[in-house]
Amino acid sequence: MINAIARIGTTTINVTKTFRDTLSFAFTIILKMFNKNSYNSATRQVLIHQIYFTSVQILPLFIGISIIFGTLLMGIVLQIIKNLGLAEHLGRIIMDLVVTELAPFVTVLLIALRSSSAINAEIAVMKVNKELNTLDKFNIDAVDYLFLPRVINGVLSVVLLSAFFSILVLTSGLLFSKLLFGLSLESYSNVLLSSANFYDIVISLVKCCTFGFFITLIPIRFGLHATNDLTSIPISVLNGMVDVFIAIIFIEVLSLILIFI
Amino acid sequence: MRLFEGEVALDERLKDFAEEHKKTLGLVSLDVPLISNLDVSVNIALIKQYHENLSADKAQALVLSYLTRYGLEDISNKRNPALTNKERFCVMLLRAAMVRDSIIVIDRPFTIIPDVKDDRFIYDALKIVDDSFRECHIFDYLWSKDRYGMITV
Repeated sequence: MINAIARIGTTTINVTKTFRDTLSFAFTIILKMFNKNSYNSATRQVLIHQIYFTSVQILPLFIGISIIFGTLLMGIVLQIIKNLGLAEHLGRIIMDLVVTELAPFVTVLLIALRSSSAINAEIAVMKVNKELNTLDKFNIDAVDYLFLPRVINGVLSVVLLSAFFSILVLTSGLLFSKLLFGLSLESYSNVLLSSANFYDIVISLVKCCTFGFFITLIPIRFGLHATNDLTSIPISVLNGMVDVFIAIIFIEVLSLILIFI
Repeated sequence: MRLFEGEVALDERLKDFAEEHKKTLGLVSLDVPLISNLDVSVNIALIKQYHENLSADKAQALVLSYLTRYGLEDISNKRNPALTNKERFCVMLLRAAMVRDSIIVIDRPFTIIPDVKDDRFIYDALKIVDDSFRECHIFDYLWSKDRYGMITV
């Protein structure tokens, strides 16, 4: 019994410590983000490369998934709307479902699977190879040069790709709304525009930024946890990716609570 | 050149020296490896880009001119694992020389270029870029003294 309580206590302390450390690291990154001295030719070059790796290289896969998944989902949702006789809420349902919920969630899952794991492994390998020591010896701040561009890239990529997902899925919605409801392009656009809510768009934007921030920040932090052993790399990636997934769920739940308040 | 009887003494003195000259230190050492996911030219250009905000194009041109001095312009797009020991040494030396007013410290050079018998290669490599650093110090073990002929103690 005492052991069980001790285990719960230890777990609670560890979780609290991890949460506190993550927030503290986040605070450091945010401070650096708004400090103009953090930016120079080298950090800008890293940022451009990161945006290319995260947002451009993923495009074929992203467009494919958006079209297949988004079109099928829109078809099903519009069919349900028609069957339930909710045609007058068509615009509101599409905007809430696609722009506020689906687009950020699908985007963050794809980017986390591809880029977060890569960032986690990259930082862990650099730690094991003593490459972080190289930066230190040449007076290069790892936060400025390595971490900040990756975090900014995470935020930009999730926001941009989420917007792109919304556009692709809303466009495919046009096809189904024409087939099922006989809506023209103009009527469909009017329905969507009249349903667009500024507050929802702000929530969606904040959610995308928060997703992008934490799915790059957490892998960096876990990459830094690697020791000098090669075997610590997979452990670091595993733990980092579990925490990324928890963070995604946590942010999603928080945003849902905010929307329903 | 500074020669030491053992690893502990060398490491301690090197640490103190690095601390004393932190701002201008250009360290060439296996403990300060090239960054493996950057190619040679970016590894070297990084120093000028970060500390002097030199544009990527200008920094790359500068690096290429230095690599050409060594006849190594062909390796500018290679990464660390693809380099020979001598190429790696030259790249690390160039990176160290990129530090403004640099005080180059070569830590146990024969561990970076184990296939080299004497200091002629090191001497020649330093001579080629001697306009780009202020001082150069070599830290090594006492028992390597015989391998140094051209560089005086």
